[in-house]
Amino acid sequence: MSTSHTQPAPATASGLRGCQLTVRYNPGQSVVIDGQSIDIPTGRITVLIGPNGSGKSTLLKTLARQLAPESGEVLMDGRDIATLSSRAFARRLGILFQENAAPHGVTVEELVAHGRYAHQRLFDAFADEDRAAVDAALERTGIAPLRQHWVARLSAGQRQLAWIAMALAQETQYLFLDEPTTFLDLAHQFEIMDLLRALNRELGKTLVLVVHDLNLAVRYADFIFALRDGRIAASGAPADVLTPAVLRQVFDVEARIVRDDATGLCFCLPVGKAGSTTTPMSPHADRPSQVGMPLRGVRVE
Amino acid sequence: MKPSAAKTAIPAPRNRALAILIACSLIITLTAACLQLTLGSYDMPLHEAWAALTDAAIWHHPAVLGRLLLGAQTANALGLPAAPPLDTATLIVWNVRVPRILVGLMVGTNLALSGSIFQAITRNELASPYLLGVSSGAGLAVLLALMVWPVLGTHLPLAAMAGGATAFLVVYGIAWHHGTSPVRLVLAGVIVGAIAGSLQTMLFFLAKDLSVVQNAMTWMAGSLTGAGWEQVRLVAPWTLASVVLSLCATRYLDVLRLGDAPASALGMHVERVRFVLAAIAILAASSAVAVTGLIGFVGLIVPHVIRNTVGSAHRLLIVGCLFAGPALLTSADTVARLAFAPLQIPVGLVTGVLGGGFFLYLMRRRREFGKL
Repeated sequence: MSTSHTQPAPATASGLRGCQLTVRYNPGQSVVIDGQSIDIPTGRITVLIGPNGSGKSTLLKTLARQLAPESGEVLMDGRDIATLSSRAFARRLGILFQENAAPHGVTVEELVAHGRYAHQRLFDAFADEDRAAVDAALERTGIAPLRQHWVARLSAGQRQLAWIAMALAQETQYLFLDEPTTFLDLAHQFEIMDLLRALNRELGKTLVLVVHDLNLAVRYADFIFALRDGRIAASGAPADVLTPAVLRQVFDVEARIVRDDATGLCFCLPVGKAGSTTTPMSPHADRPSQVGMPLRGVRVE
Repeated sequence: MKPSAAKTAIPAPRNRALAILIACSLIITLTAACLQLTLGSYDMPLHEAWAALTDAAIWHHPAVLGRLLLGAQTANALGLPAAPPLDTATLIVWNVRVPRILVGLMVGTNLALSGSIFQAITRNELASPYLLGVSSGAGLAVLLALMVWPVLGTHLPLAAMAGGATAFLVVYGIAWHHGTSPVRLVLAGVIVGAIAGSLQTMLFFLAKDLSVVQNAMTWMAGSLTGAGWEQVRLVAPWTLASVVLSLCATRYLDVLRLGDAPASALGMHVERVRFVLAAIAILAASSAVAVTGLIGFVGLIVPHVIRNTVGSAHRLLIVGCLFAGPALLTSADTVARLAFAPLQIPVGLVTGVLGGGFFLYLMRRRREFGKL
């Protein structure tokens, strides 16, 4: 088990926790999240990984109150988030979804200003603090020069930055992002991830991300939850999760974990589907496995 | 038509674009109003119309003005003295032409506002009170009300709103399937509209009185013919309410248009807000239907033109609607009343032909229009 500093504090009243969450999209359909509990490490970057349909996006949305669990509850500082008002919750936690439409006829500045929605009341004018929050978000994401541009005319990377700026203007402690880099080229993937890391390190925001690219996830995460079939199959610091055994169990792939001596980075090199006879076995496959051990955040049934 | 605003990276100064749009709308509205005041079965030169409009017999006698604005019944109840005999020109201008212009202004405003709101809450450029079946539902309710109590009264807008709201709920309920898609909404709207239209026609066959049928036919085609102070009084409070509520709702419209999920993430109680906004749109559209019948395409075309000029920010879009909506409806009504003089045709036919043509032109010219 991870013993690093990324280990979240034991269950306390503070922070964000999911308790025995079961989520179903429709009654009668199979469960997407199957009675899972999860502690989000405060002030860290947490990444959810898992194959398609593993429930990682569903778990993210449930923790962010965008989906209501069938049973279980999400506690924020000890309080069930379902009891908070929409606005009060949106002042604590912001979430960006995988596909953000490009609304026509909206400028970057207007989009970012919508981040202030939860801070304004019905007849409030746009106050100085709202203006300051929008300006700070535009500066922080580096798109201040584009503030008068149409969002729909930006490149995919710039558009993603604009949406992140909107979430920043929301001024929340928690920032959730569902696959923030999926539709971007490599340079923009790094740009976004570096920005997110800076938001965590410099502003102290607690980030929770769903990331599809395993190597990107490992590189930027402080803590990883690996999901499979609606259950948390492994969790811990990146080095503890990125093992051939976990990858086989979670993703059904045989993979080698390669360490690049120049950068000191570990990365995963998938070599084939698990169980395939043509698959060369990883030389590191004998590394101690985590699988089967009682893992933090997993409800053992 | 101006080039699509989204074609360049940086929009032109949009407050200026809005100012130009408002100026153009005002010029069109004023021209149409002058034509409406001077021309008709009783032609008068502009100075005579102006003299009638500023007739001291009206303006220096609050009782006369009050009698016009409030109606004979209320005036008598208030004990206002009887009006002295007025000039023919003054009578025509004040009893026929001015109220008709006013009703046109208000109905144009209502339809444009309603279209803007429906387009925002359904995130669908094709949405309008007409296409979503709201107008037809309101029309059916008005027709039923007219056949049961064949007097024009304050109950008509309320009946129209009940009918419009019912139609919208049915359309929304049918289209709802894990959220609503633009295609499903429009299809459901067209079908519900067709059903309401058939029921309206069925009522004609069941009606005993032929004159009722003829009036209803004219009304269904959307007409300002015979619009008087009674209609002004009927629609004015609802127009005022629609305008004020729409201006208050601009931020909610902007956020909701981003999508249900982003709006919810920003802290919006999406279903509640959409319900309230839909209620405003239904109120605006139904009160218009109650006084003038079914006038199509205004709610579709006006928001579209404004969006192409100033973008989608509703603080600009809604203000634009307050000027461009009346401009379109009063100019269309000028054509409807004067183009085939001495015959008058319902204004709904003019907006149907002009607006429908414009709609086809848009679909042909802009590939992304209606991309669903």
